[in-house]
Amino acid sequence: MKTITAYKCNKCGLVMYPYHDRCLNCKGRDFKEIAPTSKGKLLTYTVIEQLPWGMDERGRVLGVVEFDNGVKALGLIKDDAPRIGMKLKVNWEPVREMGGEEIFGLTFEKTK
Amino acid sequence: MRPVVVAGVGMIPFERRDEDSLMDMLATAGLNAMDDAGLGDRPVDSVYVGNMASGLFNHQVSVASALVDRLSLLPAAADRVENGPASGGSAIKNGFLAVASGFNDVVLVVGGEKMREVIGPKATDIVACMTHPEVEYIYGLTLPAMAGMFARLYMEKYGVTREHLAMVAIKNQTNGLLNPYAHIQMKITMEGILTHPQSHINSPVVADPIHLYDCCPVSDGAAAVLLTTEEIANKLKKPLVTIDGVGQATDTHTLQERSDPTDLKAVTLASEQAFKMAGIKPKDIDVAELHDAFTILEIAESEHAGFFPKGEGAKALERGETQIGGKLPINPSGGLKARGHPVGATGVAQVVELVWQLRGEAGERQVKGAANGFSLNFGGFGNNVLAFVLRRKS
Ligand SMILES: [Zn+2]
Repeated sequence: MKTITAYKCNKCGLVMYPYHDRCLNCKGRDFKEIAPTSKGKLLTYTVIEQLPWGMDERGRVLGVVEFDNGVKALGLIKDDAPRIGMKLKVNWEPVREMGGEEIFGLTFEKTK
Repeated sequence: MRPVVVAGVGMIPFERRDEDSLMDMLATAGLNAMDDAGLGDRPVDSVYVGNMASGLFNHQVSVASALVDRLSLLPAAADRVENGPASGGSAIKNGFLAVASGFNDVVLVVGGEKMREVIGPKATDIVACMTHPEVEYIYGLTLPAMAGMFARLYMEKYGVTREHLAMVAIKNQTNGLLNPYAHIQMKITMEGILTHPQSHINSPVVADPIHLYDCCPVSDGAAAVLLTTEEIANKLKKPLVTIDGVGQATDTHTLQERSDPTDLKAVTLASEQAFKMAGIKPKDIDVAELHDAFTILEIAESEHAGFFPKGEGAKALERGETQIGGKLPINPSGGLKARGHPVGATGVAQVVELVWQLRGEAGERQVKGAANGFSLNFGGFGNNVLAFVLRRKS
């Protein structure tokens, strides 16, 4: 599955996403590219009723997920009853249309 | 560094101003500040314009160059300062440094934004351009949505309730009724925005748990200050109010990279710097203008700036300590909630309000005897914050 690329500092081990040119902790410049694990838990979320221009939709749930390997990322939460701490599994799907083009990103659903 | 005096202040009422262009608003606010100072035909050395997005909202750029031309201030130096919702605060900081360093003697700082030229969802999109393009914007993240994710954690951690958020809205809109420059002139009640079974019609969800009455309105407006030296200010007519402390700090672009996303580190650091420079403490402040773009922010900032311990801001609000007449009135102007938030204007409008308060010119919303003021201008979602301490010179 295609996914995001996160970065682990070779010097101090800090996991970062998105990319920084220097480590947020130790200023190191060498990183190992890592992929998030397939599962994680929901740290916080919101349900957006007023989306920006070009997005005709209501009740879009966005949340920050911490993957099992420490990567943290925002994504689209496909669940009507989200709660903090819930276990989620990740997918890579279209999240928005921009300029007639489908943009792919992280989506999450409840693990069984 | 030499002392910097705010010798003149000016504003235009914040509202939807279909008849005025951005340049009309900047020019009027600028003239108001020059006239307030009694500057007359004396030259201005440089002009800073705080503005976030004239290119996107109004299809015009280089607005500082256009402003010196409108105001016949040529050949004054002119710069536009863009720092998101903290553009106004950043413009004041630049003006402060120009005078404090001795590089300039007279500086005009104008902040302004004309947001209502575009429809609401378009304005939401333009403001969302400050989020991270690859890891936030593509999901449809908005600023109210960031506030929603922040509020959910903050409320849980510190026991802040939706009733507390509504108290901020009610207090600030009550104050706004006393401010002729405030966009929202409407009394609201707890019943109407929260407790009545039909209240969700008045205050629908924007980004849960943030409701409509937790958000500032989208406004057009401009505000200006004239900064100068003590020597020149003494020849002008106004009582002296000086900028004694300036602080600025940054934090990570995204919320998810903060080890504790409820910790607004840049607010704490910017405030500490401003207090240290001014040589006074939070307890010495008589009046504060905080950046309540969302009600939760007034509570969180009042704690991070050092006025109350963490978790105590909502309790102080509950006890009425932050009302006009309370121990520390916060946002007597109505704040962003009632005055409005034309993004580039806000940081300047906060300082304008403090000057009126410290001079005793704030009319019905006057905080009695106010001598020390504090303002906080919050950019992005707390990733770039400015703080100012102003004092009346006795
Ligand atoms: Zn490192």
